[in-house]
Order: sequence, then C-alpha cells, then structure tokens
Amino acid sequence: MKTQTGGHLAADEAPRAERTLRRLFLTLFLRGRSARGLQKSKAPSSIGSKLLLALCLYAAFGLAALPMWFSSIFALSALLHAMTFVFLGMFVAASSGEILFNREEGDILLHRPVPPRAMLWAKVRVLVEVSLWMAGALNLVSFVVGVFMPAGAWLFPIAHAVSITLEALFTTGCVVVVYQLCLRWFGRERLEGLMTTAQVIVAVASAMVGQIVPRLIGSFPGKIGLELKTWWLGLLPPVWFASFDDAVTGAGGPGSWALAGWGLLVTVAVLGMAFGKLARDYERGLQALGESAASPRRAAAGRRWFDRMVNAPPFRWWLRDSVGRASFLLTAAYLVRDRDVKLRVYPSVAPSLVLSMLYLFNLGGAEAGSLSAGFAAAFFASFICLAAPATLSALRYSQQWRAADIFRAAPISGPAQLSHGARRAVLSVIIAPLCFIFVGVAWLAGAHAADLILMLPGLIALPVFAIATTVTGRMTPLSESSEEAAAVIPGFAGRRVVAALAFLVGPFALSGLGALAKYTGWFWWFAVAEALVAVLVYGILRARMASLRWRPLE
Amino acid sequence: MISVQNLSKRFGGQMAVDGLSFDVPAGQTVGFLGPNGAGKSTTLKMLTGMLEPSGGAATICGFDLLREPVEVKKRVGFVPESGAVFESLTGLEYLEMIAALYGIPRAAAVERIRQFIAFFDLSFATLTEKLLGAYSKGMRRKVVITAALLHNPPVVFFDEPLDGLDANAAVGFKALIQTLAREGKTILYSSHILDVVERVCDRVIIIDKGHLLVDGPPDELVAARGSGTLERLFTELTGGVELERRAADFARTFLP
Repeated sequence: MKTQTGGHLAADEAPRAERTLRRLFLTLFLRGRSARGLQKSKAPSSIGSKLLLALCLYAAFGLAALPMWFSSIFALSALLHAMTFVFLGMFVAASSGEILFNREEGDILLHRPVPPRAMLWAKVRVLVEVSLWMAGALNLVSFVVGVFMPAGAWLFPIAHAVSITLEALFTTGCVVVVYQLCLRWFGRERLEGLMTTAQVIVAVASAMVGQIVPRLIGSFPGKIGLELKTWWLGLLPPVWFASFDDAVTGAGGPGSWALAGWGLLVTVAVLGMAFGKLARDYERGLQALGESAASPRRAAAGRRWFDRMVNAPPFRWWLRDSVGRASFLLTAAYLVRDRDVKLRVYPSVAPSLVLSMLYLFNLGGAEAGSLSAGFAAAFFASFICLAAPATLSALRYSQQWRAADIFRAAPISGPAQLSHGARRAVLSVIIAPLCFIFVGVAWLAGAHAADLILMLPGLIALPVFAIATTVTGRMTPLSESSEEAAAVIPGFAGRRVVAALAFLVGPFALSGLGALAKYTGWFWWFAVAEALVAVLVYGILRARMASLRWRPLE
Repeated sequence: MISVQNLSKRFGGQMAVDGLSFDVPAGQTVGFLGPNGAGKSTTLKMLTGMLEPSGGAATICGFDLLREPVEVKKRVGFVPESGAVFESLTGLEYLEMIAALYGIPRAAAVERIRQFIAFFDLSFATLTEKLLGAYSKGMRRKVVITAALLHNPPVVFFDEPLDGLDANAAVGFKALIQTLAREGKTILYSSHILDVVERVCDRVIIIDKGHLLVDGPPDELVAARGSGTLERLFTELTGGVELERRAADFARTFLP
C-alpha cells in the first residue's frame, strides 16, 4: 500500500473500494443526500452545523451526571448508559433506514463492482462513527465526574469509553439484525413496511428503556447481587454496560461481572449475526427496494378507511373546504404510510407518553393514589400540547418535497387551508388516539374521573398551541426537504431550540395553574376563563392565517 | 459477448420477464424496444447484476451473471433510466468516487473526466464547484453517461440515455454510440425514440409483457412485415391500434 498525503491518495494509486465507500457515506451523511445549495462551499452547513449544535446539546445533557456526584459508580453509569441508549437508539433507528436501504442508491451503486458486504461495512462504520461522536459528547462530563466523585475511580474514563463503544456497536448491530431478519422471515414484498415498523419499535423501545432504567437505579444504590428475583436486569442493555464500568473500576461484585459478561456475549452475538450469517441477505434487501411496492390490497384498504372517515360526520362538517380536506387526506396518509415521516413523528412522541404512563403507575416518585394520577393527567395534557406542534413541524419535511410545488401551481392564494388540513389530521390521527390510550390505561390503573379532570387545562389550550405553529405560514405539509429536518435530536434544531424551550413552558404552566385551582376549589372558574381566552386567541390566530400568502421560493 | 438464455423475473404474481433468450456478438449495437411495462428495464437491471433473476441464465464477456457478478460488473457500463446521482456531491467528487470503485487511479480518472467534459461541453469549474443537486437534468445525464463509460467497459447498457439532453448533446451522443460500436463495444440501447434506434442500431429486439416478439435488423423486420417504418411495426406488434382515432376522441372531451 502506498503512502497517503494529506488524507488523499497518491495520484497514481488505485483507491480501495471500502475506503471510497466509507468516505462517500460519511460525506452523504454530513451533507445530506439531496442538496439544494448551488455551491459546494454552501452545502455542508445545513447538516454539519446541526450536527455540531446537536453535539453541544448532548454535552449539555451530559451535565445530568453532576447530581450523581455522591452516588455509586453503578448508579452514575446506569444513568449515563440509559441516556446514551435512548439517544443512540433513536439516532440509529432514524438514520439507518436512509443509510442502509436507500432506494435511489441501487441505480447508482448496485451495478458497480462492489461486494455487498463491503457496502454494508462502510455504512455501518459511518453509523458507529457518528454514534461514537454523539456518545462521546453526551458522556464528556461524566469522564471527569467518574474520576473525582467520592466513589470515583481513575479507571472510570477508560472503562466507560469501552462500554459506550460496546453500546454503540450493540445498538447498530441490533438495527442491522432487525432489518435482516425482517427480510429473511417476511420476504421482499413487505420489506419496506416492516422496516418502518421495526425502526419505530427500536426507537420507542430505546426510549422506554431509557425512561425505566434511571428509575430503577434507586433500587441498587450499591453492589448488584446475583439474585433470581432480579433476573430482569439481564434484559436491560444499559444495565449490562453500567455493570461493565462497575466491574472494571473495581466497585462491583460478582453480579456486576456476570451482567457485564452477559452484555459482552450478547453484543458479540449480535455483531456476529449482523455481519456474518445474515450479511449475505443485504444485497437482496437493496434489490428488493428497487423491485417491490407496498401490498396493494393494504394500501387500498387504508385509502378507503380515510375516505370513509372524511365523508362521515363529524369530519364531513369539519372538512368542508376541499383544499383542507385534500390536505387532511395527504397528511393522514403520510402519517400512516411514509417511513420518513413515521420515523420523525412516533419516536418523538413515544418517550413522553411512556413517561406519563410511568407517572400513572407511580413509578416516578413517592406520590400515591389520586395525587399520582392527577399529576400524570396534567403532565400528559401538557405533553400533547407540545406533541401537536412538534408533529406539525415534523410534517413540513418530506423526501418528496419537490412534489409540493403543485400547491403553488394550484389556484390557492396561500398555505392557510393546507395548514388547517394538516393540523386537523395531526389532531385526529395522532393526538386523539393518544388521549384514548392514556384514558384507557388510566382507567385500567384505577384512576377516577376526578383525577383525570386535570387534563382539561391542557386540552383547552391544545387547539391554540396547534394553530400557533402554523401561523407563520411555513407549515405547508411535506414542502421542505427531509434533509433540513435531519437534526440528530428529533424536534430540536438550530434556532428552533430557543422557540421550543419557550413553547415548553406554556402548557406546563397552565397545567400547574389548573392543579393549583383544583386544590383551592377554583378549578371550574379557571377552566371557563381559560376557555374564553383560548377562543379569543384562536380566533385572532385564525383571522391572521386567512391573510397568509405564499412565501417566496428560495 | 452477451448471451441470455431463458431469463425470467417474477414480482409476486406478476411475470415481468418471461423466458427471454438472445445473443449479442461483440461490436453490435442492439435496440431494445417495448411499450411501458414490457420488461426492458427489468431485463437491463438483471443483466447488470442489480436484480436477481427468478430463472434462466446469462453470461457477459464469458462470465456467468449469477456466479461471477463482480467480474460481470467490471466489464459493464450502465446508464439507468432514473439518472440517479448523489445530489450532495459535486460532479467531480461523484465521478472520482465512481472511478475509485473501478480501481482507476485518481490521476487517470481526472484525465478521463477531462476528456468527457470536453466532449459534453461542460466546464471544469461547474464540475468542481456545483453540487449535482443544482445541475439541470441534461447536465446530470451527461455526468451519468460519463460515469458509465469512465472505466472503458466492453459492454454498455443504455436505458433512455437521451432523456433530458438538448438537441446538440443528443446529436453528439448518437455519434459517440456509433464510434463506440466501431471500436468494438457491445451496446444494448433501450429507448422509446424509435427514429434514433433506427439510425444507430444494427439490430432491434422488441419485447412485450416479458416475451420476445421480434429480433433482427430494423430494415429487414420492417420489410418482412410490410410496415413501412419501425414506428408502425412497433405499434402493430405491441397493440397500439387506432391511436389517432382514440386521441381525436379524447381531444373532443376538452371542447366546451
């Protein structure tokens, strides 16, 4: 092998395909796959700067290690691995579909003399590399905390670096295995639909594990014992990797060694499956994307269901305007069918729903009975006030964004009716089912109507928060490139962070005031007053939207 | 050079290509024709190793498509109908990446790329500074054609290569195909523009619903069936009946 100069190959050296592919996929990840910038110099700023911002945010999230100063190595490490698992799980699940199985890529690369295994390796290397950047940023603070805390050990940074590398490999390997098993068991015709479902499940599962693990830390303040009653610890990946830190730094006992060994074994097995036996299915998967379509019968059934929905009361009255109705149908279809949209929407909604459920079952603290249910109800209602705008924001982006030019070509003066249709679709397809799920689970958990009444302040404010997102005129559904939405933390990117944080306060403040009113006997007065204000603000925003005109194309 | 025996492809319950067989000797340019959905692109994707055949066999340059796909791919150039490229790379980055996948040293690749951009009237500055996402359809097509021919393959498959090219580029491209054929390259040319096929191809294969309908030199096929033109022969064979009357009937529905 000849020498390299400045990262580039010597001019007369034939480059290796593996290295070329790795560079290609990393460049595509950093720049995005579709570029609208005219010049090369302008291209990387969109995704690259978002990634940098995301890494800074991750480092800020890592400050969560500071309150663990007086805890054990295991408790600190479990918290960090739970957080890392959530972020990596969601990132890998959201990115892997686009990176591993890109439909257009087949026409570019499949007829080149590149073995499929080399392509898979190059892609996975990029996923793991970026995962490690993120995990490194998230755990930056903890490397210091783990050494200088009272229970700290000088070996902690080394052990923790190894364990987060294992965690990144485990997470990436899991996603690859899930894809390959889907392909092997369910065949190529159903691959794309299954991949979407698998990605959403991985993202939701990692969010759930990430919420559950920190709550279990309190049960294990010191060493982990080898006891049958705690067998379920073996099912939680963050616990394996925390046990590794615990064992290597010398703080752990046999239980930590056992769980660390188990984690290592599972990681090796997952990687062996992903890149060994199942890797030969990868090419078949890429080919399948080029040749197959979704099952026509199911697609037709979905269409009929939505058609029936909009043609029956109350939707027929609610969607009288033909543009709004068309936008509703389009948005609803994308929420149910489109992989890209589903991956942005469902994993961002899931963690807060899970958190509400945990509060409902009193896993979040010491409150008991109706106090816990009331808090869960108030938290849930605040969360849906944020989930609606977040979902609407996510719906601005699509891989088929160029098709939205048809909206501007149509005789429509502005985006208002399209925004109304999209907003109503989000409320009907996402928010209403979430409310039914929560109330159903609350009922099963034995909550009373009096406990759930604290949902009311949030529900009253919901239409205002939903329409407020669309009032800027930028909420034309599916009209911007999905690359623009490729922030590593779903829902947070660039200047939106500030707006999102400001937006966060409102619903929780309302729910807090509602709770205060309830316990002081003024709840219904508060609800009526809030409803009057909400109607007024909604009317003003609605009138403002009517005058919206198309923003100039960039 | 290309040998196809009983090649088939099934998508679920639908037979896209059904027992297709033909041979193409070195240096021949073959027009590969058929109506939409006839199985042309599927056949080309199978012959370039992009799709796994459901049945049959094929060899290219003596290499078996199923057993030695990488050897086949080294000897094949393909211009897909989609014209897909990685839009966030510049033209030069894209072409250098493609050259690297064929093991072409960078200096040789850049030299070859310069020859192509001179032929296609592209500027080197555009190629180095503009991202492919900002290229016009025609410019992008020129890059895709360059990417297919960079490694100087003995066999080239074109799927609607003129799509998006302006008149001058199209004329140049037709001349290029004829020159490539004279140099001994084997070309399978799929297109709906029949007069171009008639002009550049030594032989025409027409398929429909995955079946081979006719195979031979265009003038002989037209003469044998008394069709007058290749276009008329095509419509006769592929069921395009009473097209003028149907168009006139449809146009009348627009009248107030």
